[in-house]
Amino acid sequence: MPPLAFRATVLERRDYGCASEVIFRVGDGFSPLPGQFVHILCGGGGRIIRRPFSVFRHEGGIASVLVREVGGGTAWLRRRRRGDELDILGPLGRGFDLTGGGEHVLLAGGIGVAPLAYLGRRLTERGGKVTLLWGMEKGTEYGSLPESLGEEFDLHIATADGSRGKEGTVLELLSPEMTPGTHLFYACGPRSMLVALTERLSTAGLPSLQVSVEERMACGLGACRGCTVPAVEHPGGYLAACRDGPVFRAEELDWKRMMESI
Amino acid sequence: MEADDGIDLRVELAGISLKNPFLVCSGTFGNGREMSELVDLNALGGLMTKAVTLEPCPGNPPPRLWETPSGMLNSIGLENKGLERFLAEDLPWLSRFDVPVWVNVAGFSAREYVEWAEAVSRSGLAAAVELNISCPNVEKGGAFFSRRPREAAELVARVREVVDIPLFVKLPPLPGAMRETALAVAEAGADGLSLINTLPAMAVDVERCRPRLGNVTGGLSGPAIHPVAVHAVWEASGAVDLPVIGMGGIWSCSDAVEMLMAGAAAVAVGTLNLVDPRAVPRLAEELAGFMRWKGYRRVPDMVGLLRRRGWG
Repeated sequence: MPPLAFRATVLERRDYGCASEVIFRVGDGFSPLPGQFVHILCGGGGRIIRRPFSVFRHEGGIASVLVREVGGGTAWLRRRRRGDELDILGPLGRGFDLTGGGEHVLLAGGIGVAPLAYLGRRLTERGGKVTLLWGMEKGTEYGSLPESLGEEFDLHIATADGSRGKEGTVLELLSPEMTPGTHLFYACGPRSMLVALTERLSTAGLPSLQVSVEERMACGLGACRGCTVPAVEHPGGYLAACRDGPVFRAEELDWKRMMESI
Repeated sequence: MEADDGIDLRVELAGISLKNPFLVCSGTFGNGREMSELVDLNALGGLMTKAVTLEPCPGNPPPRLWETPSGMLNSIGLENKGLERFLAEDLPWLSRFDVPVWVNVAGFSAREYVEWAEAVSRSGLAAAVELNISCPNVEKGGAFFSRRPREAAELVARVREVVDIPLFVKLPPLPGAMRETALAVAEAGADGLSLINTLPAMAVDVERCRPRLGNVTGGLSGPAIHPVAVHAVWEASGAVDLPVIGMGGIWSCSDAVEMLMAGAAAVAVGTLNLVDPRAVPRLAEELAGFMRWKGYRRVPDMVGLLRRRGWG
């Protein structure tokens, strides 16, 4: 669908530890694919460019984003209350390809769980078998969100400090039977996590992996070329995270150069 | 367009007719295609294309963006697909719209600038050439020329010889040298000036002790640079009798009027397009309202009004 420019009324905010789900009303024409994002103007105070947020939830005229406070813009958005208005462009970008069959393994690093939860719901609706693997720093980081997502999905958690689930990163949760031959992989999280995952799956496994990348963006439409990621095509070339992505087939990206900028 | 109440937003720049005095700055609108999903290109006064180089250019390593208070740092580095594809794909596509197109020509040598500007002129699809001799993000590119008035004038003269359409020269703010440079490029045959390009700038991640931009340095745009741009327009328009397109951090109708009153014949919206692709039609409507309120009937009534009122 073409992107829309609209103002949305905040209906509710749910706090989950270090993150908040900001829930807002959307029109009938708004139908985001899993992995697509909304570009939100996050207040004044010298902040001039929009911030991109993956869609976390969408049904029945209501959508939400999951916001973790990392700076002034996210702090502003996290503090929205019922009745506040948001200035939004979206949905933007390329979402996940949902057409593959087999078992689906969703790997989330931290706040990267947002697009994957939305993806998981859509895959489940299509009759897919979904396993959600989620890595975080410590068990209490996201409040009651793990319980909430645990009711929807076959959820497994890893924590860096071992306070919940398995100790280590989300990759610790990959079991030997989860192989590229039988499973499809979808990931969103810090670049270091995505790089480690591509190494784990090795070159032969890359066709089974889709990743959603997080980059600072300006226009969100592919015009300014500010949010580029290194591409395999055209040596030395780039793809725009906002338009060509934010979801890429892993084999489209140049992981050696991705690694250099961690 | 002329409204019923006699408010006339039309302007003429070096013989080119614009529906309204708002263009979009090079690099902030792609080549129109991406933005056309959200805005009617026919509503623009004019469109300045993303800088195009003779050969395809991959651009600078990411990260390429960093927001600063009321500003944005970028180091895109002229990423573009090169002259051949631009002439074959983008320019013909743009020519379907009723909007004059300034093709922003960048180069890594004088020969490239000349060759490329000639090709643009020959295409018959561009209203004007905007010679980009002020991009802060490429080593050998424009900034070299704009820092040296004599070299800039020589380049402008060489390009002037090969183009049959109006030639605008895009300059950075040059404190202390704005007048001298404006005069030099005017004498060399420029038909207009675009003022200003981004300002060289940088930011540092102190946690990790590394530059915020992959290219280390970049160019600053946005409201933070607006007063600098107004000053540059003021200086240049006082020195030469050429139309000046004022640009730099225009975020509101009054920002645009400031430029006009300081001496700009038209203005261009830049970074704001990245936030609001529909900024130009919105600002054009606001400008009509301002003119109605203040009793200006035509845009030229406001152009250079400060000097006409005895300032400077």
